[in-house]
Amino acid sequence: MQGPAGSGRRDWSKIVLAVYFCLFLVFIYAPLILMGVLSLQGEFGSITFPFKGPLSLDWWRTLFDESIPGSNARAIREAAVQSVWISIAAGAITALLAFSLSMAFRRRFRLDGVAFYLIMLALMTPGYLLALGTQLFWSYIDQETSLWKTALGTNVIWGIPFGFLVMLAVWNRYDESVEEAARDLGANRARTFREVTLPLVWTGIFGSFLFGFTLTWNDYDRTLLLISGIETQTLPLQIAGLTFTAAIRPDLYALGTATTLLSIVVILGILVLVTLRLRFRDAGKVERVEEEFGEVESFDIDSLEGTETRPA
Amino acid sequence: MSSSSVPEQSHGQPAEVEKKSGFLDKLVTLGWATPGFAWLALYLIAPLVFIVLVSFWTYEQGVRSGFTTDWTLQNYTDLFNDSTYWNNMLSSFMTSVIAVVACLVFGFPVAYFLAMKVQSLKYQIALFILALAPFWTSFLTRSIAWTYPLMGREGALNQVLTKLGIVDEPVQALGFSTLSVRLAMVQLYILFMITPLFFVLAQVDRSALEAARDLGANGWKTFREVVIPQAMPGVVIGSIFIFVLTMGEYGTVRVIGGNTVSSVGTIVQSKVEIGIQYPQGAASAVLLVAALIVGVFAITRFSNLREEI
Repeated sequence: MQGPAGSGRRDWSKIVLAVYFCLFLVFIYAPLILMGVLSLQGEFGSITFPFKGPLSLDWWRTLFDESIPGSNARAIREAAVQSVWISIAAGAITALLAFSLSMAFRRRFRLDGVAFYLIMLALMTPGYLLALGTQLFWSYIDQETSLWKTALGTNVIWGIPFGFLVMLAVWNRYDESVEEAARDLGANRARTFREVTLPLVWTGIFGSFLFGFTLTWNDYDRTLLLISGIETQTLPLQIAGLTFTAAIRPDLYALGTATTLLSIVVILGILVLVTLRLRFRDAGKVERVEEEFGEVESFDIDSLEGTETRPA
Repeated sequence: MSSSSVPEQSHGQPAEVEKKSGFLDKLVTLGWATPGFAWLALYLIAPLVFIVLVSFWTYEQGVRSGFTTDWTLQNYTDLFNDSTYWNNMLSSFMTSVIAVVACLVFGFPVAYFLAMKVQSLKYQIALFILALAPFWTSFLTRSIAWTYPLMGREGALNQVLTKLGIVDEPVQALGFSTLSVRLAMVQLYILFMITPLFFVLAQVDRSALEAARDLGANGWKTFREVVIPQAMPGVVIGSIFIFVLTMGEYGTVRVIGGNTVSSVGTIVQSKVEIGIQYPQGAASAVLLVAALIVGVFAITRFSNLREEI
């Protein structure tokens, strides 16, 4: 921390840190970028530099076109479809459970401290170990493990603590008096929940869904031991299969780049949606206030505390 | 946010409301809590309890499950006498400790820059998302991207080093090695340190900084006595995250380390998948959890110590 801002002296620490930040970005993005570049090689491309041209999408095409010799397009497509469904399911269940758990934690109950640590235990348990335990348990009670019966369950366990923490953050900023007001105005419990509580916290629920979805979409450790056979592979298992068993070719890079881009596009898209919606809703809020009380001239910032506001 | 204070804040209800809210409220709370805890019981508690049970049961060939339910301590005594196991455990532990320290050292300036030096909230969020984006992609894919194009004998890094004449021939240790795994852990997990640090640093009271300066403290002293103490909760949470996640790592170690590097995860896997030694695999898993608990406990102690000083 150098002198106060605007003193005319340059804040050297800021410049140094900015340069460091750029280096940091290079450090975390470089492998992914190199992988993307190498996926664009010609047919004689190998998995390391130098880049063997011509620049082409041949390796990307093998991901989708079964007729190309050596293509794993079919297996990849099936795994991707499987992954989409299981991730949506895991996201939805994670969101529901994280939300309902956080509702329970809004008031004290007996053993709530223990219950909280139990949820955090779900965060701490190594995935591979959880899958092993699940496998042992299910084989002991004489049940087959499968993607939908067991892998879904262990993936949701991984999502719950993340979703739960998101919901806790939401409740921390939540103004309970809104609910009291609704009840004073004669709304019953169910209606208050439906028309006051839910609309205010749905972004948190959606955030939980997102955690459940992406964690499952990318999961390897928790799924590996628990699928019933090759026909229920998920995309990460398919990627691992290509890495461990076959000789690696640039199509693996294309697949890796494709899943990475997809994740990033999904996240960015959702961020944009949420931002737009918040902006829209804030505008609506002012309108409603103005309808009821006439034009709003000065706004007491503290009264907005606890509701979501768009950063100015 | 320290883990124990979070639930407290979320139900800070006045006492009189608590009294009015009788039986029905309790029932509602029970209703909200049941589905989640039922799921946790089936997919978390049951498997964990079962690992502990199996670790005390007897390995038997020919049985379908691979073990019989006769109680024994044999699995543990075998492990205690297995020096390879302890070496691997120690190496895993070192990897995690190094990862925690390195993520703190290299991540702190990033979080500090984002939270304290970027003034506009819009840029702050944008840069934070830019740094966070790779976290949303598969660790397995990131491990592949790390291992094959970048590291390795033929990898880009070795090629650059050779071209620049820094080394005469490609560095073998960049390939499937413990060094590569440890570097990769920093790359993969540093965001788990930056995120909590960013949030605690963003909440540092700016007026306290000004006050410190007005009282004559120089930059370094302000940093040490105002910023660092307030950043401690973030350091603790980040350390716990990274320690636990790297210690239990399986898939990424298999990719980055090839078959040359073992982690606790790969040890368990080798017992289970190759030898079908479920009881021994379970016993080594139990020891892993014990090590995790000790580690987390040590990290939280460290923070309390700091607060007392």
